[in-house]
Amino acid sequence: MSNFVKEDSGVTLFVTQTEAQILINLVEQLLELLGEGDFFHHYDTNDPLAQMLTVPTEIAAPEDPVLKRLLPNAYSDPEAASDFRRFTEPEIRGNKQRILRRVRQQLSIIVDYSIDTGVENSSDFGIDSITGIDPDIWLLALNDLRLALGVRLDVDSESYEKFDLLPDEDPIKPTFAVYFWLGWLQENLLSVLG
Amino acid sequence: MSTATESDLSISQLVDRPWVAIVWDDPVNLMSYVTYVFIKLFGFSQEKAHELMMKVHNEGKAVVSSGSREEMERDVQRLHENGLWATLQRDDKI
Repeated sequence: MSNFVKEDSGVTLFVTQTEAQILINLVEQLLELLGEGDFFHHYDTNDPLAQMLTVPTEIAAPEDPVLKRLLPNAYSDPEAASDFRRFTEPEIRGNKQRILRRVRQQLSIIVDYSIDTGVENSSDFGIDSITGIDPDIWLLALNDLRLALGVRLDVDSESYEKFDLLPDEDPIKPTFAVYFWLGWLQENLLSVLG
Repeated sequence: MSTATESDLSISQLVDRPWVAIVWDDPVNLMSYVTYVFIKLFGFSQEKAHELMMKVHNEGKAVVSSGSREEMERDVQRLHENGLWATLQRDDKI
């Protein structure tokens, strides 16, 4: 079972190969959803330098429910919300991507793509460690991953009880397990910070 | 000229602090994480951050900061970057 440990040199994550693979897969999926830095379609120009210097003319609210939750409307008034989005969304998306890419890079050091672990037999591969964990970055990434899964699973305040009642063969159960595991991991990192 | 002073004050309040940033409850964010974000972004004490988080949790929302529209847009942007569901509006108490 994975956990964060505070050492003299900083925070270290101990994680199994399977857990690291699950994490990196989730990070990849969310990066893909966030567009991996590709924001060109919002601009009038294809010139990257010009894009840096200008504000897109309009950005529609995202349709995907996960993106709606990660990039919510800041105003109830649609016009004000759209204006706010125009000026802030590229930066917010960019920051979220930067954080996820940092986590992906740290995970990629230990993820062995030649091993197909399957989810059942993680203990066969022992525990790896990632040193130099930046708690702020990992908390943000874990939180965005939980928000994404939470939206997909339609999580509400009764979800833990519902999960307990799900039969083991229910196809949604493993995803729920991952969601709760991420919550445990995030809580663990917060407690390490004290 | 106390009346003038009072009216000056209310005008300055209207000009300076008429907007609020509101954080809304959601079923995913951990209570400990929300408290951590409040401390990180606003420099609140542990006690004040915990109190605000409980207000969000129990009442469904809480005002976490107030100021000019530009300041509140900046706060809401930072709250979104940290995964909290936040909006801004004119402070209807004024």
